[in-house]
Amino acid sequence: MGRIVARLGGIGFAALLLLVLLVVNVWLTPGRFQPSGWLLLLGLAAPLIGAAMASTPAILSGRGGIDVSVGPQMGLINAILIKVLVLDFGIAHPLVLVPAALLIGALIGAFNGFLTTVVRIQPIVATLGTYLILSGVTLTILPAPVGPAPVWLKSLAGPLAFLPLGAVALSWWFISRSAWYDQLMAVGSDDRAAFTAGVPVTGVRFFAYLLSGIYAGAAALMLSALIGSADPNVGPTYTLIAISAVALGGVSLAGGRGGLLGAAVGALDIFLLQNALTYFNISTFVLQIAYGSILVAAVVLTALQTRAVAARVQHV
Amino acid sequence: MSSRLRFDARVFGAFAIAVALHILGTWLIPGYSAPFAIRALLVLASLLAIASIGQTLVVIVGGIDLSIPFIIGFANVVAAQLYGGGMAFSLVCVIVALGAILIGLFNGAVSAGLGLHPLIVTLGTGTVVQGAVLLWTGGFPSGSAPPAVSAFVSIGGSTGPLPFPPLVPVFVLLAALVALVLARTPFGRRIYALGSNPRAAPLALIRPVAMWAAAFAVSAFFAAVTGVLLLGFTGSAYGAVGQPYLFQTIAAVVVGGTALVGGRGSYLGTVGGALVLTELNTLLIGLGLQPATVQAALGLVIIVLLSLYGREPAIRSTI
Repeated sequence: MGRIVARLGGIGFAALLLLVLLVVNVWLTPGRFQPSGWLLLLGLAAPLIGAAMASTPAILSGRGGIDVSVGPQMGLINAILIKVLVLDFGIAHPLVLVPAALLIGALIGAFNGFLTTVVRIQPIVATLGTYLILSGVTLTILPAPVGPAPVWLKSLAGPLAFLPLGAVALSWWFISRSAWYDQLMAVGSDDRAAFTAGVPVTGVRFFAYLLSGIYAGAAALMLSALIGSADPNVGPTYTLIAISAVALGGVSLAGGRGGLLGAAVGALDIFLLQNALTYFNISTFVLQIAYGSILVAAVVLTALQTRAVAARVQHV
Repeated sequence: MSSRLRFDARVFGAFAIAVALHILGTWLIPGYSAPFAIRALLVLASLLAIASIGQTLVVIVGGIDLSIPFIIGFANVVAAQLYGGGMAFSLVCVIVALGAILIGLFNGAVSAGLGLHPLIVTLGTGTVVQGAVLLWTGGFPSGSAPPAVSAFVSIGGSTGPLPFPPLVPVFVLLAALVALVLARTPFGRRIYALGSNPRAAPLALIRPVAMWAAAFAVSAFFAAVTGVLLLGFTGSAYGAVGQPYLFQTIAAVVVGGTALVGGRGSYLGTVGGALVLTELNTLLIGLGLQPATVQAALGLVIIVLLSLYGREPAIRSTI
């Protein structure tokens, strides 16, 4: 029981915030929140949710583990899919594009994993290096936005919006039942203790970055579906906001605590917050102030609440 | 002792690479070592190194500060706006510095007091500060720098007999002061102690919240100084002028051998890191590469450099 409380404790606040924001949003814009529009909204929120989920495994692995290149990964894969494969080579079949997206993501993830676990460069700087490389390469192969994306891909942001998110969630559900997941949480909480207990720390961490890359590939599909084109400037903007979503969702940036569900809830919070603020038609500057203050306030409240839960669990 | 040697090797490595890059540049690009080019390089490296003073302290204490670019933008725009509105420049500086220090104190106190990751806290406050500045100016800042500040950083300037603008010698003194404070004062030793063992330090009567607040306040203060200096350098206010400094300060700190897990590093290393980054940027642009290619090459070179001499110890050696 204590374990369940502790596991849900982290995302409890984000979930509560989600509920409040949903009520506010439905009240403000009932038209957008009709059941018929749900899939469209999901498609709109999907790239941020995907980016937040992609950022999570690397963060869970601890000791400063983080992948700040998730945004540019989405941007590069978006550019390769639409500009190179669809427009230059005329390949638009889902059975080519979907595996291609995941494969490129896996390659970049493996590169990040190699840099952080085998070469042992500090993760934020290693992935910052990848960030610069990926966004530079993206701008080189795609100086300006082009389109369009194939119709089936666009439908992933409409009638089929649940598909990519569902696939990521399902895969994580299987993974969280594996021995690797337990090892990841052990390494994230205390890598030295895990190492002395015989956990292959390097391998476990490497796979976390690999997984982040694969999920970034999935997030790139969601992004391509939503914007329906290739755009070199959109991807990198997701990096920092995705990390905010992860933190909001109760994932500890020190590693070892949290999960993809929390990250997804945190991302939905940010999406609904932006949606509600946009409704008031205020200047984007005020929006930015509100967004920053609510982010800090939310993280502060999450920390206070996690402490309270931890104290209660100790008493039980 | 061995860790001490290793850490000095990293500092030495950063300076050696800066020199190597400079020789490479002189060999490849005509005029790379011309007096004007060297002055420009020193001015740019000094600006980056000043912006990285706080990042070095914050990283040694075990944190990270993402609000630096936003505070640079804040100081840049607010100083121009107030000075343009007719306020005395000394008063402008006091206001800007106090504002920045308050933001820094908040960053450090909230991160340490509530056990929050500073990455999120500083990102949040940075976003708020940027929004507030944009709101105040409507996105179109006006005003300019006083001539004294422009002369202080002007690439063509000179200091008495020295062929540099005053910024360069003043920066050398400042760097020596920062290195001295870190290595020889109780404040500096506490920063290292807290960064290397956050659990043991409070038992030695080091107050974590106060130390974090101080480190982040220093960071915000020097970010504000950079913002005002950049105003003199570019001539007009621009809210996003600090954006390149977000990753560059972190890269300078790490290339200079300071570990992001805290407790080890030095400001001398950061100065070396700032030189390396400035040399690299100048070299790549001088080779006629497109901005996008420069960016990609910069990322690649940072990775290669760190894989040569910036590697972390293997887990089995830390038990």
